[in-house]
Amino acid sequence: MSVIETSAPTVSAPPRAPGRTPWMTELAGALVGLLVLALLPLVVGDAYGRHVLIMVFIYAVVASNWDLSLGYGGVFNFGHLALFGIGVYAYSLLTKLAMFDPWVALVASGVIAVVAAVVVTIPILRLKGIYIILVTFGFAQLVMQVILSQSDYTGGTQGIVRIPGLYWFDHNMVRDAKFAYFYIALAMLALSTLFLRVFVRSRTGKSVVALRDNEEYAVSRGVSLVRQRMITLAASAFFTGIAGAFYAAYQRNASVEVFGMSLATIVLSMVLLGGTGTIYGAIIASFVLTVFAESMADFGAWRPMITAVLIIVVMLVYPGGIVGMLKALWGLATRRRA
Amino acid sequence: MNALADILFGGLFQGSLYAMMAVGLALVWTTIGVFNFSHGVLMMLGAYFAWQLVDWGLAPALAFPIAVLLMAGVGWLLQATVVRPLIGRANLVLVVVITTLAAGSLIENGVLELWGPRSKQIPPLVAGNAMLGGVGVSLHQIAIIVVTPIILLALWLFLNRTRLGLALRAVAQNEDAACLVGLNVTMLYGLAFAIAASLAALAGIFLGGYRFMTPVMGADPLLKALIVVVFGGISSISGPIFAAYLIGFFEAICSYYFGLYWTPALLFAALILTLMIKPEGIFASRSRGLA
Repeated sequence: MSVIETSAPTVSAPPRAPGRTPWMTELAGALVGLLVLALLPLVVGDAYGRHVLIMVFIYAVVASNWDLSLGYGGVFNFGHLALFGIGVYAYSLLTKLAMFDPWVALVASGVIAVVAAVVVTIPILRLKGIYIILVTFGFAQLVMQVILSQSDYTGGTQGIVRIPGLYWFDHNMVRDAKFAYFYIALAMLALSTLFLRVFVRSRTGKSVVALRDNEEYAVSRGVSLVRQRMITLAASAFFTGIAGAFYAAYQRNASVEVFGMSLATIVLSMVLLGGTGTIYGAIIASFVLTVFAESMADFGAWRPMITAVLIIVVMLVYPGGIVGMLKALWGLATRRRA
Repeated sequence: MNALADILFGGLFQGSLYAMMAVGLALVWTTIGVFNFSHGVLMMLGAYFAWQLVDWGLAPALAFPIAVLLMAGVGWLLQATVVRPLIGRANLVLVVVITTLAAGSLIENGVLELWGPRSKQIPPLVAGNAMLGGVGVSLHQIAIIVVTPIILLALWLFLNRTRLGLALRAVAQNEDAACLVGLNVTMLYGLAFAIAASLAALAGIFLGGYRFMTPVMGADPLLKALIVVVFGGISSISGPIFAAYLIGFFEAICSYYFGLYWTPALLFAALILTLMIKPEGIFASRSRGLA
């Protein structure tokens, strides 16, 4: 649990006004957080514990990228998990059928996810709110239907098995309790987070937030809604696709379950539990929720139910999510000191 | 002749089911301004309630109305727990999506735990088969085709001719004004959810008498209902009803001429086209703010 505490300074960036925390402060906080995560294998030595952490990193990448389109862009892209699924299947098909090198396929999957995101953005350019939810939800279902129907290539409901994994020179990837996968996953999370934070702090990122908060004013000041929305969704897709590809390489099998509502619910609750428009919040929430879910493995069938109740309770009690909660605590602590 | 009968019958049957589902979604949307993503799960739960009551030895004629009434209670409860406390939040639509999804997951897993994964079937409304224009159809399906418009008409009369129904529509049009003239908005919210859940339960009973039931049976009807309300526009009750039949026929025609695999893709293409040309839906005149 030490991760949460050490990450706390980094989340103090005000979510509604990106760029207010000085560069150096945030970078220092992020580096400390990264260092703590990088040292975790010293504490977590067993393969199972590292597996949980790898899953945390994958979830964190998907959730924090979703936070970009949802929290910053204000676009309710319910097809975000479909982009992840596209990454899974792109990697699987590229390595198994097209015999691509796994690392090339990994990056190519990210690019394919970006293309898919651009395609799904076209119909939602003129839409708002609930209509975007409906169309993107439909998009996710469509992708699943297509994968199911093209069973000659995708295996349909059977899925794909024995997908080539990643490699690192001559190192055996499953040796040393998934040592290599852990650091590849961590590197992926670090790159993704760096990308996201730089994006939201940039001029483009600010214009995206401006569009979310006051569309008429932003447009009148010359911000292009169409272009920024396209950029936001495309940007949120790249590392999501890569996370999907990594997931496929790590699990070595692919199934349409990645398009299911249960996964979407869990990842969305990570975004919302963490607090939208923060990036770091989604990462922390991924950690909390995954570790929480794993710690309840003994409850078996009751686990999804307990998770569901937890999500509802947190949504009811803490509108600002975990980051909002931490901020309230932080505010309380600093006030007492003053 | 055969093809025509096939398409006509398939379109009417699917359209009836879609209309049953979509009306509930639209009712909740117009009244409260939220989308109930557990609507498919409510449908499934209604079917399981009906199955359980029949299994206990109740006659279907008695069991089905009881299941529908029970589901009205469940709808009310759902509204009181995961929707009403959130009213007034800035990102209400999104938060309700996640809470209803979570509630749906809770119910789905609960059903799985309680009744197990084995598929079940409830007795049809009317047993037996008939030949119609050279197409063999079950009387159950014909009963659905006949009963659905009656129920929808009853709903329309309720919303347009009774005091309570008018109050519900008043809340849908202007909540503040409705509050000012002394309408119990909280009660009406509950009522909208209760009616929607009852309609979903009815759709579940229809489907459960025709196909095998599983705890995940609600997912596909929910998706179709979502597509229907996008097509028809969610600002009114009649829009989705027309759209439901339209999509029923669209699917029947597509699956007849292009095969079942291509139907979802074609449907989606039509959906995108609709949204690009008329984002508020085909049958919508004005809408409850597109946000």
